[in-house]
Amino acid sequence: MAAKYVILPCNGLDKEAGCLARELALKMAAAMDGEIICPVLYQTAPSRYASLLQEGNLIVIDGCATRCASRIAANNNLKISRKITMAEEAKKRDYNPGPDWRLGAGAAAFVEDVWRSWQPVFMEQGAGRASEENTGLFAGPVEYAIHRHDKFIFRVPLEGFYFNENDCWVQVEGNRGRVGISDYLQQNLSDITFVTPPDPGTEVEQFGEMGTIESAKAVYELVSPVTGRVVAINEAVLEAPELINENPYEKGWIAELELTNFEADREFLLDGRRYLEVLKEKVADFNAGK
Amino acid sequence: MPGNSFRKVYVIPCSGIGKMYGLLGREAVLKTVKELRPDKAATMCLALLVYGDDEARKEINGARCITVDGCPKLCAAKNVEQAGGVVVERVRAVDAFRNHRGVDAGTAAHLTAAGWQIADELAADLAGKVDRWYDASEEK
Repeated sequence: MAAKYVILPCNGLDKEAGCLARELALKMAAAMDGEIICPVLYQTAPSRYASLLQEGNLIVIDGCATRCASRIAANNNLKISRKITMAEEAKKRDYNPGPDWRLGAGAAAFVEDVWRSWQPVFMEQGAGRASEENTGLFAGPVEYAIHRHDKFIFRVPLEGFYFNENDCWVQVEGNRGRVGISDYLQQNLSDITFVTPPDPGTEVEQFGEMGTIESAKAVYELVSPVTGRVVAINEAVLEAPELINENPYEKGWIAELELTNFEADREFLLDGRRYLEVLKEKVADFNAGK
Repeated sequence: MPGNSFRKVYVIPCSGIGKMYGLLGREAVLKTVKELRPDKAATMCLALLVYGDDEARKEINGARCITVDGCPKLCAAKNVEQAGGVVVERVRAVDAFRNHRGVDAGTAAHLTAAGWQIADELAADLAGKVDRWYDASEEK
């Protein structure tokens, strides 16, 4: 069953990127029977949309880099299911939104293309949830190694997890792998505010981009430790990104992949013990650089 | 930018999302400030004011503003006033329909040809208001 969506777009007034956001919002609302939230009315009368927001998955569409819609969502502690930024979508497609408000030649095709690329994500969102029978496949780590430095404690699971030097891990069971970030990285990022995982169905290369994590300090591009196809994402971290801060190896996993080349990928990965040594060096280097 | 555009009259529509009247007001404002009176009028994204963008608030503070609202909530008028703008005219898009009763102007997503005609009429009316308030500031 398709999920019900609530769309909070940018105001979309005087810049083309904003107008594109508005066009996409209208298209999505019509196609998915979604509801659009007026960003201005929401800010002034939030109770008007309270029940809608409780029932539906929230999609935020930003136009330009000011990201008003995201800010309004953040100011009101709204849980964002998906974020789309038209400026970024334009960059991916070599489309250059103008500084003025009129939609340029090719704008309609551009919006259509953005919609076509996101449509399967929303349609598969329900199917992409980790299934109940699958949750037992990935048991939590049996044993953690600990590295202490000053008041900081870093944990590394010793068995069943493999790391790349970008502090991302994969836990492997058969031809399935769960991926996430290490305890070291989550502590560096501090409070994580948004997670943008890869879309279900995405083919990911080892060391290719696997979404982003945003914290108060930085936006971090996730580097996939493995090659494969995304078959599920952790819906829980979309709704509660702080799960990654609480427990990056269990509740804070980000995506699940069907692995296509793990034997070859493993040659470029570190097991828990070797990663622990790398982690110690990173901590030492970080403190030496202070 | 504030120094250059401060004497301009700000014409600020509601977000224009979700209702045909809002869309019509938005289009009329854009035509006014971008095509009919680009030297005398400017606009501002209401969401910037609403979430409290400092630069936007500074720019609007004390400026003469014409607000154009699509629905009776009057989001534009209220928020511009709260941000320190001087609202000299409160325009309601629905009033542009007085001479067009029963016309199908379109939907929240698209205006019909009749809707565009009404938007053009509203834009002409707004341009006249801009002239009046801009000239008044020139005389000072």
